[in-house]
Amino acid sequence: MQAEIISRAQLTPDVISVWVKPKGIFVKPEPGQFYGIKIPEHNDLLLRRPISVADVHQHQLRFIFRIIGRGTEILARSEPGDWWDILGPLGKPAPIFRNRNILLCAGGVGAAPLYYLCRHLPRNNRVKVVIGARRSDQLILVHEFRKLVNAVLIATEDGSCGQQGKVTDVIARILPSLSEPVIYACGPRLMLVKLRQIASNIPVWGFLEERMGCGTGICYCCGIEDIYGNYLRVCKDGPVVLLNTVKL
Amino acid sequence: MNLKIVIKKVQFANPIVAASGTFGFGLEFRQVANRLGGVVTKAVTLNPRAGNPPPRIAEVCGGVVNSVGLENPGLQRFKAEILPELSKLKSQLIVNISGAHSADFCKLAEGLTEQSIAGLEINLSCPNVGAGGVTLGQNPKIVEKITAAVRKTTEKLLIVKLTANFVDPAETARAAEAGGADAVTVINTLFGLVLDENGQPFLGGRTGGVSGPAIKPFALYCVDRVASAVSIPVIGCGGIINGRDAFEFICAGAKLVQVGTAHLIEPDRSLKILAELKNICRRRKINSLEDIRGQTRRIK
Repeated sequence: MQAEIISRAQLTPDVISVWVKPKGIFVKPEPGQFYGIKIPEHNDLLLRRPISVADVHQHQLRFIFRIIGRGTEILARSEPGDWWDILGPLGKPAPIFRNRNILLCAGGVGAAPLYYLCRHLPRNNRVKVVIGARRSDQLILVHEFRKLVNAVLIATEDGSCGQQGKVTDVIARILPSLSEPVIYACGPRLMLVKLRQIASNIPVWGFLEERMGCGTGICYCCGIEDIYGNYLRVCKDGPVVLLNTVKL
Repeated sequence: MNLKIVIKKVQFANPIVAASGTFGFGLEFRQVANRLGGVVTKAVTLNPRAGNPPPRIAEVCGGVVNSVGLENPGLQRFKAEILPELSKLKSQLIVNISGAHSADFCKLAEGLTEQSIAGLEINLSCPNVGAGGVTLGQNPKIVEKITAAVRKTTEKLLIVKLTANFVDPAETARAAEAGGADAVTVINTLFGLVLDENGQPFLGGRTGGVSGPAIKPFALYCVDRVASAVSIPVIGCGGIINGRDAFEFICAGAKLVQVGTAHLIEPDRSLKILAELKNICRRRKINSLEDIRGQTRRIK
């Protein structure tokens, strides 16, 4: 499906936000879902880049992504008026809970899909958001989260904003005060590993990333091993999975 | 315009077939599958296989390198859980079978007798498994032996999927023909190695198989070469992403063409390839694909 770029903004030195308007009938994505975005006009880069939905507004989609290679670099150079070829929404939606203590744990650009999720959570939940990054200039969506949720906590590794340390340090501190919490987490693999250690008895729904081929479940390239030794497809069985069911 | 293809009484509505491994088991996009000539499933092995550790795919210039490692639920679960659904497909169903020894292939063929299965494709060319796969397909004697053994166990359309890794596919195609194959698929992925920024193997399986437009000229060369070496039909495969590619493979001698990597980019790409091929035929006033098939070798 073709989608026109409406606006583009640089959120941090290497994180870009793009609003696009897809052509044709609009299918509203659910939190946790993603789109496969083709690299425009570069036939040597074949594969679509899987990018999660950061927000939806009036039939427009917001994608926030980090520049990690040539493909994302080309996507980042797109200008309003350019067109993207996008495929989606793909993946299984994240489960939505009601009337619970909910913790959103975001590392770096991982804040993006959690923001869209946060907008969807029923109001009877008690939501706390913890956003972490190495430095304050790498934090994203802090103001947007603060408009939705009162409790937004920040952790930076260099202490330039919020608590000095990692996002998981903050989680470890506040976790004992919450009864029967549910955690949603998106960020670096190491963050998810640490989170699973400190929240071993709590359901942690991790938004996973893996190298993908198709994004639609037909190539079996984005396997992640579950605790029974089988591989799940991150694109089809995920990307949101209970962390204690997979090997990280 | 007649695009129907018949190979050993199996009628393909058109020459476009989904290749094994890049179209799941054919159930994910049924509307696409129903409109193709046929669908080749992901490889089925006797026992379940978990596959290789991630990462399983890397992108290279004009192609991808994969190391999935034949992840599949095994013959019994394939028959119980997947085949009943596959039987509802309107296109011809071909099951790709893989094993380490001749006996594995025979047991698989014996277990896959259902009416809904039009044919079997013997996988002698997967580069991502320790035993079996490409090591079998590199030896013409083994190719003939396995083909002959499977031939004895099945009456179905029997296709052998060949490799071009360090072996002349014309030789192994002749071996498959001698063993009783009804057709050969040329080619499977080519050996590839991708390194990370530290100079270490990037893929979880260490090495992988290269596919996509990057290998198309070589695949086309192989089809041209094999088509003149054997009298059984050749099924072309390797980097076909548009109608022009399909047209070229047919000109080089292919009876059917398989679409693989293109399905990763667009799951309905093969339907576009079919539409583009029809357009080319219309524009060039080609009424039957027989008129162009193998024309690369005809003296003008």
